Amino acid sequence: MSTERIRNFCIIAHIDHGKSTLADRLLEKTNTITSREFRNQMLDDMDLERERGITIKASAVALKLVCDGKEYNLNLIDTPGHVDFSYEVSRSLGACEGVLLLVDASQGVEAQTVANAYLAMEHNLAVIPVISKIDLPQSRPYEVLAEMEKTLGIDTEDALMVSSKTGKGIDEIFDAVIKRIPPPKGNPNAPLKSLIFDSVYDEYRGVIVYLRIFDGTVKVGDEIYMMKTNRSFKVEEVGIFKPKMVAKDYLSAGEVGYCIANIKSIRDVKVGDTVTHYKERTAEPLPGYRPPMPMVYCGIYPTNNTDFHPLREALERLSLNDSSFTFEPETSQALGFGFRCGFLGLLHMEIVQERLERESNINIVQTAPNVTYEILKINKEVIKVDNPEKVPPVNEIEEFREPMVRASFILPAEYVGVIMQLAEARRGKYKSTEYLSEKRAILIYELPLAEIIFDFFDKMKSATRGYGTLDYDFIGYEAADLVKLDILVSGKQVDALSTIAHRQDADIKGRKLVKKLKNEISRHLFEVVLQAAIGSRIIARETIRPIAKNVTAKCYGGDITRKRKLLEKQKEGKKRMKSIGNVEIPQKAFLSVLSTDE
Amino acid sequence: MKFKKDLPPNALYVHIPFCARKCNYCDFNSVVSGTKTIDLYLSALESELSALKGQYVFKTVFIGGGTPSVLTETQLEKLLCAVIRCISVSEVQEYTVEANPGTLTANKIRLLKEYGVNRISLGVQSFQDRQLKFLGRIHSGDDARKNFILLRQAGFENINIDLMFGCPDQSLDDWENDLETAVELNPEHISAYALTYEEGTLLTKNLNNGVISKLDECIELDMYKTVIDYLTHNGYNHYEISNFAKPGCECSHNLVYWNNMGYVGAGAGAVSSIDGARTSNENDIIRYVNGIGEGKNIKSFGEHLPDDQFASETVIMSLRLRQGISNADFYKRFGYKIEDQFGDQINRLIGDGLICYDNERLKLTEKGLFIADTVMTEFV
Repeated sequence: MSTERIRNFCIIAHIDHGKSTLADRLLEKTNTITSREFRNQMLDDMDLERERGITIKASAVALKLVCDGKEYNLNLIDTPGHVDFSYEVSRSLGACEGVLLLVDASQGVEAQTVANAYLAMEHNLAVIPVISKIDLPQSRPYEVLAEMEKTLGIDTEDALMVSSKTGKGIDEIFDAVIKRIPPPKGNPNAPLKSLIFDSVYDEYRGVIVYLRIFDGTVKVGDEIYMMKTNRSFKVEEVGIFKPKMVAKDYLSAGEVGYCIANIKSIRDVKVGDTVTHYKERTAEPLPGYRPPMPMVYCGIYPTNNTDFHPLREALERLSLNDSSFTFEPETSQALGFGFRCGFLGLLHMEIVQERLERESNINIVQTAPNVTYEILKINKEVIKVDNPEKVPPVNEIEEFREPMVRASFILPAEYVGVIMQLAEARRGKYKSTEYLSEKRAILIYELPLAEIIFDFFDKMKSATRGYGTLDYDFIGYEAADLVKLDILVSGKQVDALSTIAHRQDADIKGRKLVKKLKNEISRHLFEVVLQAAIGSRIIARETIRPIAKNVTAKCYGGDITRKRKLLEKQKEGKKRMKSIGNVEIPQKAFLSVLSTDE
Repeated sequence: MKFKKDLPPNALYVHIPFCARKCNYCDFNSVVSGTKTIDLYLSALESELSALKGQYVFKTVFIGGGTPSVLTETQLEKLLCAVIRCISVSEVQEYTVEANPGTLTANKIRLLKEYGVNRISLGVQSFQDRQLKFLGRIHSGDDARKNFILLRQAGFENINIDLMFGCPDQSLDDWENDLETAVELNPEHISAYALTYEEGTLLTKNLNNGVISKLDECIELDMYKTVIDYLTHNGYNHYEISNFAKPGCECSHNLVYWNNMGYVGAGAGAVSSIDGARTSNENDIIRYVNGIGEGKNIKSFGEHLPDDQFASETVIMSLRLRQGISNADFYKRFGYKIEDQFGDQINRLIGDGLICYDNERLKLTEKGLFIADTVMTEFV
């Protein structure tokens, strides 16, 4: 097929602006799926995605459409909307020539709208502005168009108005995709040049590689070569997504599809790599992607030390489908053998943890997340610290540096004050305010990443009644007055409970922390003393009273079974705890460092 | 070695699941029912009991509830008749009936005596009306005293008094007063239970709704220590976590449970443990009655524990006894020593001062007694 009849496009939007619903309508309208197969959010594959109403993984689907008597192949590549996954958005964009920039007619321009639109512009893609949810009574499409012009500097004269609910405007979308997004360039007769824009691992078929073909063709039996990993494979199957995989004889220039080639390990596949033919190679690889940088780290340990290997296997399985998640073995005095895991953000961390528990049957203890710090030592050596335990002694530190982000808030003007207060309290540095309209503003702050990864997002949401949005970019490391805050349980320092805090907040944080731990740790036969310390200075102390009386008063013939079961249950609960010395610490306690509210 | 868990059961428990009113703290199988239901129930119970005849030699009989004394005189006589027909009177050494003040009459007491009952367990709980009202009891402290005297006058020489401590606004003084009154009456046996908030009771509901709050644990512990000191000084032997007896007046029937020996239960919800298999009758009175009438299986639950679990349960139950568990007895029964199964735990608990050896008996120390449940978890 000539590339003239192919269009590759993405829908980009802020979370909840109706991306997945619009994708559903496009699938229905083109009869890509029968209504019998239909379920909401077709493209969200994982249960977790559908449950949380967010898209995590990009996915692709081929739509067939007849326009002016000609048949077109449209490839729609879905993208995630959450700030944690902007990396995945850029992957999808690399496989497209154009985007539908979707903006909710009542919510207006929001932080990820801006971030994603800029990404699309960086990729030189055709941008079609689309106002969604115009059926809602509170919609204000023309104000939103003005906001788009003001923030993004794009021409909104040809913006489309749609309602995925009523179906209004859907036909115009197809028209615009065909007429306003250029067909892919590329030569089907040139040597194969294709981009891996995603990959998933299938237990039975091995790695399924998502490909966008730029030049040449690929067919079953071809010997393909991955230019970055230097690996070659024999193609077993190629095909397209409808959205289930449908095999085809070949994929050629301009097309989007999948390729199965008996690839056993996801490590042999690098997203962003260029796939060419083994014998007849393309001269230049595609630019590929900047590898994702984990922003947040935490320790994941098996509750039961014998589960170390099963945990490693489970993490490996998970990483097969999520190349942006990293893990490395580490040891903790308190928790034994486990892994230091890196995530794109807090949501990403939650998702990985949830999948880990769902898909494997291992009880895990997770430590509080932290960012990566940079430390300039007296001997001028610069080290990266992704675990508070690795902070060198104070006398070896010349400068303690933390990662900074440039955060942009887009919010109704009336909330500018509260967000400024929130940002200032988190050691934010004010940069600028810009008004999109009378009612909406963009507020720019520079903030320490550590201050926003915990509960900042929720705080911002509730302070703005859900109307505020946030996007951020890493801008570099900056020196700060940071200290390592240690927790001692009955005099013993628990490495897994250490955190890094700003000196001015350390005392309050330490006090709150031991108070929280007091509630999390149940009473023992002996008094348990909890202390927070900076170096050798104790800054807070709480004690947990020993159990005074714990004895069942009545136990006769009819009670024996019940009593035994009760004791069994208590014993089972104990298994899920970690013993530090002789103190049993429940899993939740390790996370109490997370939120420091009362 | 052949594993021998149990001698044939020699204890019979008969359940009367009726009360004049459900107490606020009670989660036992008991209901308030009309005379007609009670009559039907007693007939069914009679059938169940008659089927036991000749199968076992019972040394102890315990009729509990509910409130057996809530039965009318006619019903009570019917019950006592049914029991006496299935046991060999000459073998029975201890025959207990539970009674609540407020439901006992002189005639009922006479009937109990006539049919060979030789031990009465009187549900006094407290002699103070404020406490009784809180617990939802139907009688006054005075009723309890009067009933006790009536029982003595009728010639009962083995009487137990149930007492309860740890009510939310009970003071240590209140508790001491109850103990003094009890000791003045001079019963042979006293059971002193800490108030327990059981699932599904009115008290627990009130607790969860914040209507009442639990007594401070330290005060409750003081009350427990007080009862142990006071009764021990007054000639009672503290022989089980909540039970005190004059020498030789320990309840033989309940000792069967605490030694995890076999017993037979009759009536709705009654549990039997025969040769290591534990079964429970249907709890629901109507289903129980119909089941018996139709000759159907009335068991609603059964378990046969693996040997090691049965041994573990035996250790746990026996640790309730102040004298603990005899290693020799354990060996005779299970064919190995307690340490073979629980060596690590025992060493650790001895190290923590929670259990100790008294000759060859393993028992809770005083420190261990107060946190017995925590200690027992180690033996699960």
